[in-house]
Amino acid sequence: MLAFIIRRVGQSVLVLLIVGLVAFSMFRFVGDPIDNMLGQERTIEDVERLRTQLGLDQPFPVQYFKFLEGAVQGNFGVSFRQGRPVAEIILERAPATLELAFVSGLFAIVLGIALGVFTAIRRDGIVANVIMASSLIGVSLPTFLIGILLIYLFSVELGWLPSFGRGETVPIGSWWTTGFLTESGLKALILPSITLGLYQMTLIMRLVRSEMLEVLRQDYIRFARARGLKGRVINFRHALKNTMVPVITVIGLQLGSIIAFAIITETVFQWPGVGLLFINAIQFVDIPVMAAYLMLISVMFVGINLIVDILYAFIDPRLRVAA
Amino acid sequence: MHRLTTAIAFSASLALPAAAEDFTWAVTTDPQTMDPHAVNSAPVLGFLNNVYEGLVRRGKDMTVEPALATSWEPIGNGEGWRFTLRQGVTFQDGAEFNADDVIFSYERASNEASDTRSWFAPVSEVVKVDDFTVDFMTSAPNPIFPGSIANWMIMDSGWTEANNAALPDKESGNFATLNANGTGAFRVTAREPGLRTVLEPFEGWWGDVEHNITKATLTPIQNPATALAALLSGDVDFINPVPIQDVARLQGNSDVRVIQGIEARVIMLGFDQQAGPAEGGGGTTDIFLNPKAREAVAKAVNVPAILQTIMRGNAEVASQLVSPAMRGYSEAAAAPYAFDQEAAKALVAEAGIEGATFDLKCPNNRYLNDEAVCQAITAMLAQVGLNPTLDAMPVQNYWPELRADNFDMYLLGWSPGTFDAEHPIRFLASTPNEEKKLGSWNFGGFSNARVDELLPMIQSEIDDAKRQAMLDEVAGILQDEVAYVPLYVQPLVWGARSHVELTQRPDNFFILRWVTVN
Repeated sequence: MLAFIIRRVGQSVLVLLIVGLVAFSMFRFVGDPIDNMLGQERTIEDVERLRTQLGLDQPFPVQYFKFLEGAVQGNFGVSFRQGRPVAEIILERAPATLELAFVSGLFAIVLGIALGVFTAIRRDGIVANVIMASSLIGVSLPTFLIGILLIYLFSVELGWLPSFGRGETVPIGSWWTTGFLTESGLKALILPSITLGLYQMTLIMRLVRSEMLEVLRQDYIRFARARGLKGRVINFRHALKNTMVPVITVIGLQLGSIIAFAIITETVFQWPGVGLLFINAIQFVDIPVMAAYLMLISVMFVGINLIVDILYAFIDPRLRVAA
Repeated sequence: MHRLTTAIAFSASLALPAAAEDFTWAVTTDPQTMDPHAVNSAPVLGFLNNVYEGLVRRGKDMTVEPALATSWEPIGNGEGWRFTLRQGVTFQDGAEFNADDVIFSYERASNEASDTRSWFAPVSEVVKVDDFTVDFMTSAPNPIFPGSIANWMIMDSGWTEANNAALPDKESGNFATLNANGTGAFRVTAREPGLRTVLEPFEGWWGDVEHNITKATLTPIQNPATALAALLSGDVDFINPVPIQDVARLQGNSDVRVIQGIEARVIMLGFDQQAGPAEGGGGTTDIFLNPKAREAVAKAVNVPAILQTIMRGNAEVASQLVSPAMRGYSEAAAAPYAFDQEAAKALVAEAGIEGATFDLKCPNNRYLNDEAVCQAITAMLAQVGLNPTLDAMPVQNYWPELRADNFDMYLLGWSPGTFDAEHPIRFLASTPNEEKKLGSWNFGGFSNARVDELLPMIQSEIDDAKRQAMLDEVAGILQDEVAYVPLYVQPLVWGARSHVELTQRPDNFFILRWVTVN
């Protein structure tokens, strides 16, 4: 087990280094930050001076190495746009993204599994078919369109929910801010969570349904029925448990993408999280912020994959033996 | 649990319907700093105009009016300007305003670390005469100097030095990046970059209060559709800008209103007028060295049609590098190039450039509908026998391309910071000269000896009529030579809830002290 984990960690570090290298080689194509940092009355001399000051005149391997050097020590540099340490800015924005991801992940998992089980058990029911048909909407509509539609329906037409932002937040500890403790904060969470979680919800639901149908066909379920076990015990104790292995893999990966792809939802709802920060950074060519964000996201993905692999081993004893 | 209920009860009281004088407005770009000397950009200066003040300021019609100076007069024969300062003004932290703050702010704003340095290029020396009189000596007579420093904001020397912010720090920021202490009508009470900035009226402000705002919140919303939804649902009271395509829809809604005007910004086409091929372009070399070729473009582009379709009738045709609202606008050059496809074809034939291939570079996120405008221009040029290729890109990539001379033709918008016709001549029409800091945006390398000769004379001419005559001459030369093809003056479209009264200024600054909420 330990050897397995060590090997996986080693692979993960390599992946991170490559992601960083690719990211840095691409920054040259994102544009030149200098024009955004100086006004129209700047001289060529000012441009050159600032470029040297920021170290942008150096070749990208040198810039990449400097970034790594700082990142290993927890120093991600200073944002070109805000003139503040990147680590500080990301910490400030992280609670918004994590809370949003948490709520939409919860929404997707709970509703996805419940609806998946329901549509599997009542395979031929009208309600199940309606749910299956409407779930196609969740899979096929792009996120930003769902967001805009929800805003127009619930904010502009009905006036029930706020159209943007995170509402009133309450500080907890030294850097965490939460929207869970205020009415406006909770209200502000509803639309973005649905927008962000809808795709994952339908995905989990369809996956649970098909896995469950597969399991329900197995011999041991038929024998269980023949033995006269209660339907609830068969469905939830035996069938669902065996459905969960592939579902957990997908949920794990999807949780990563909920955080990583919160970018679109955050832009539509002006949600002050790291995704919105990243979009702003691209527009402004704020290289330190972009680099830190990309590294964090890849750390997260690699980490989630690692955890999922370990979880497998716990859920399925056969894998534990093999490892 | 008890704590949770308390928190909810507390927040419920915060979430009560806002009082009428609470005002929230949304902009696309958050001001990146609170330091008035660090960044010379419209989002920053426009916002800080509510917090800081200069010696002079611009009124509702853009005229220069007294602010921290009560009066000013030229010294001798144009050796400089003497400003008499307002007495009894205090900064928001309670410190007294006097000549030392002016000297300090001059030194700070004209330092190499400041982005506002170029405003003080004409200044040779600043002298404190007494506590409320300051002389600005200029190396040559400078008639427009008071107007050119309307956005130069005065900081308190004591506050700035005590907080280690004696110089702006663009690279890593300092205390003044996040905090402000001006003399203006509003003070910053909360600042969360990219999230919200809260202003409250400054009780000790010297001026007469016109507004009735008790608290104003600025919140950036990048996505135009979200900003529009926020305005329609009443979550914000004001947005800037309103997307052009949504104007008609908003006009049909009685809860909101659209405020339209024209900006100071003129959108124009520029040409590669230097010998030698464009660095990376595969186009025919040097076709635009010939004025006839440039004139052909001017006549081939049907600007009114572009404005009718792409701008939906919201913009005005431009004839020169400045809009009619600017000082020094040339009445003599007020006629735009007339659209005449036949004449354009004849000119193309005369210049011998039928079927010439070239690159039209264009930004796609800088000006209103910029890419659509360029597409229309490409089609119009094709109709007169030219063969342009449109290359549109984000502005972050656009300026480096232009600096690298990688274009045959390009789109440019110019808003004169001084609101004077001299400004675009200095930056766009002078022969590029790094040493003299001239022509720094003249990417195409247009060069005319007479224009170069007239510029210093315009800059130092005190007599308005003589000055205007020279400006007219330059405008005439630029038009005859087709240095640029001015297309239109970019429209300003603001949206507000119908109970909000406000004033729109052509510099696109949103001045909070002119807002009343009914």
